[in-house]
Amino acid sequence: MTDQKVPKNFADELSKALAGGLKNEAVAATEKALRADVDPLALIQQVVVPTLTEVGQRFEDLEIFLPELMAAGEAGNACSKVIEEALTKSGGQVQTKGVIVLGTVKGDIHDIGKNIVASLFKAHGYKVVDVGKDVSAATFIEAAEQNKADIIAASALMSITRAGCREVADLLKELNLSDKYKFIIGGGSTDQEYADQIGANGYAFTASGAVELVNSLLQ
Amino acid sequence: MFMTDRLLEIYQRSRSGKFMKEVEYDLMLATRTQELLKEFNIKYDPNNVCPADDDLADRVFQAGLQLLTDVGAYHLDTQRVIKFSKEEILDALRQAPDTLYLGEGRDRVIAKHRCIEDPNPPLNLTGPAGQACSEEYYLKNLISYAQEPFVDAIESGATLTYNGFDIMAGTLMEVMAVQRDAATAREAVRRVGKPGMHIGDAATGMTAIGKMAASEPVNGLRPCDGRLVAQMCELKVDDDQLNRVPHLLNYGSHIINLMTPLTGGVGGGPDGVAIVSVAETLLGVMAYYATYHYLSITHIKRANNSDQWGMYVLSQAGQAMARNSHIVWTCDPFCVSGPVTDELLYEVAQHAIISTVCGYTQHGVGATGGFEPDHHTGLEAGFQGEVGVATARSGITREQANDIALNLLENYKDTFDTPKRGLPFQEAYDLKTITPIQEWKDCYRRVKAELSKLGLQFTAGPWD
Repeated sequence: MTDQKVPKNFADELSKALAGGLKNEAVAATEKALRADVDPLALIQQVVVPTLTEVGQRFEDLEIFLPELMAAGEAGNACSKVIEEALTKSGGQVQTKGVIVLGTVKGDIHDIGKNIVASLFKAHGYKVVDVGKDVSAATFIEAAEQNKADIIAASALMSITRAGCREVADLLKELNLSDKYKFIIGGGSTDQEYADQIGANGYAFTASGAVELVNSLLQ
Repeated sequence: MFMTDRLLEIYQRSRSGKFMKEVEYDLMLATRTQELLKEFNIKYDPNNVCPADDDLADRVFQAGLQLLTDVGAYHLDTQRVIKFSKEEILDALRQAPDTLYLGEGRDRVIAKHRCIEDPNPPLNLTGPAGQACSEEYYLKNLISYAQEPFVDAIESGATLTYNGFDIMAGTLMEVMAVQRDAATAREAVRRVGKPGMHIGDAATGMTAIGKMAASEPVNGLRPCDGRLVAQMCELKVDDDQLNRVPHLLNYGSHIINLMTPLTGGVGGGPDGVAIVSVAETLLGVMAYYATYHYLSITHIKRANNSDQWGMYVLSQAGQAMARNSHIVWTCDPFCVSGPVTDELLYEVAQHAIISTVCGYTQHGVGATGGFEPDHHTGLEAGFQGEVGVATARSGITREQANDIALNLLENYKDTFDTPKRGLPFQEAYDLKTITPIQEWKDCYRRVKAELSKLGLQFTAGPWD
């Protein structure tokens, strides 16, 4: 945590651009703040994360639609990149609440739900390694190993693809990695019963539920 | 010119079109949609979900046509944009069929393009709408649909297992499951004495290989049957979907363009999604050679379309295509509640009424938003057909449909956040006789009586 308070004018400018999904303006506001020696960590903790969290909540409440959430997420990603570069130059490091490997399972190309969940995870301060869609069990685990992940999150919308979740769970067991990573599932074809059946550590019905689940698992 | 020349062109464009990240395409589509809403003066009104405004319907069509022309379709594998000119789209639309022969023999039905407030009742092509089904009840579940007197064709569900094992897409398990399920559907229509009834899909097939495995003229799906070719949200195609098209063309089968536009998704609110729905229909005409189209409007959180957003998209997109094309277009009700609840039947009824007056043929039914396996039965599907027939025969207008739908909404809107999921098929029906349990028949009678009070004139139904 940083003790420095982000000056209101910088915070307001960045927050407004982020909430509006204005990528170029958000990056410009970030760069302006950094040039004025605003602490990069403070920018993340006091502006980027709370703003994106609020955008995520507004989407959950259906006050805004998916494009607004996506645009804010894109703007947030661009800002985070600028901030990370600044931190790297100064020898610092971005602190995250945890690392989550996220993807849709083998055979499933429906990734809108997964993308929404990714946006909310990022908004809540997690680092997300998005392995994309139609992902094999081995790829999930490789990504988790490479990125020192805490959580592996798999999504399956279609009933015929949910077996991909079981493949991840089975491979984790086979490789004795079940204790190393928390494995969670979601998507229309899954439920708590199926999660229990395959030995997953959790299931969430909604995107916000996934955030709550990860928060509780990493406590 | 070869029939498939257009496919070759689409293939070439999918390899040479503009390269773009998916998120960039989504945001471009979202921005252009919002611009078109302003240009064409289209605005959602929650109190007028079924506007009686021909000019507005025409503007929705023009906006959808412009959207497809401007943003094209996104190819997920190559990450390239496939563009079409307006003239190409309209020429493909000109070539699309207006009359379909579904099924064969004495069970064949003829589906024709329907107009707004068309006095000819819609056909009802229905089934578990691709929802999850247990393999042990699947045959009886399909029989429950095929035996209904207001059902003209059956669709299929997606079974969860093959001999108790999970089915994995793209493997031999998928192929074997599809072969079994296609044969099960064939057996279901034979058991009810309608062996030539049209079978709309083999939904357990997720991949092209799986879908194609259903093609088998004796025990599987025949050329008089159909298969879904889906678009991904929004306006997205991929090689796996496109691969089905030449196979189905060669087999002589019906091709059904499945669209699941998300309300609250990339299209934005219901007015934007209405435009997107028109664009997706035109893409299905263009890229999939669809014989008929299947609009399954999906709420981004609840997966239903029984709210005011869904009603508006349904009515506006339907009227747009009814007035500006000659295609056969279907839609399905996706509901939050499940069997053995009055609420499910109210959700189904409003959809049947709006879709009937707005030019659709009926498809369905998605109960519980597809979240609960086996929560779908023939009763609600037959009821949808019955309400559609009553709507057309009663001469319900768009204004009346609007009032009735909003009236019916009062009966179930409180369940959106706390859905009544009801009972699964195996508890909602007596499995020996394949008939609904008394409580389910009571729901049917109660809701039908309420609809009669609102002006729908019914004839005798199966569960009166």
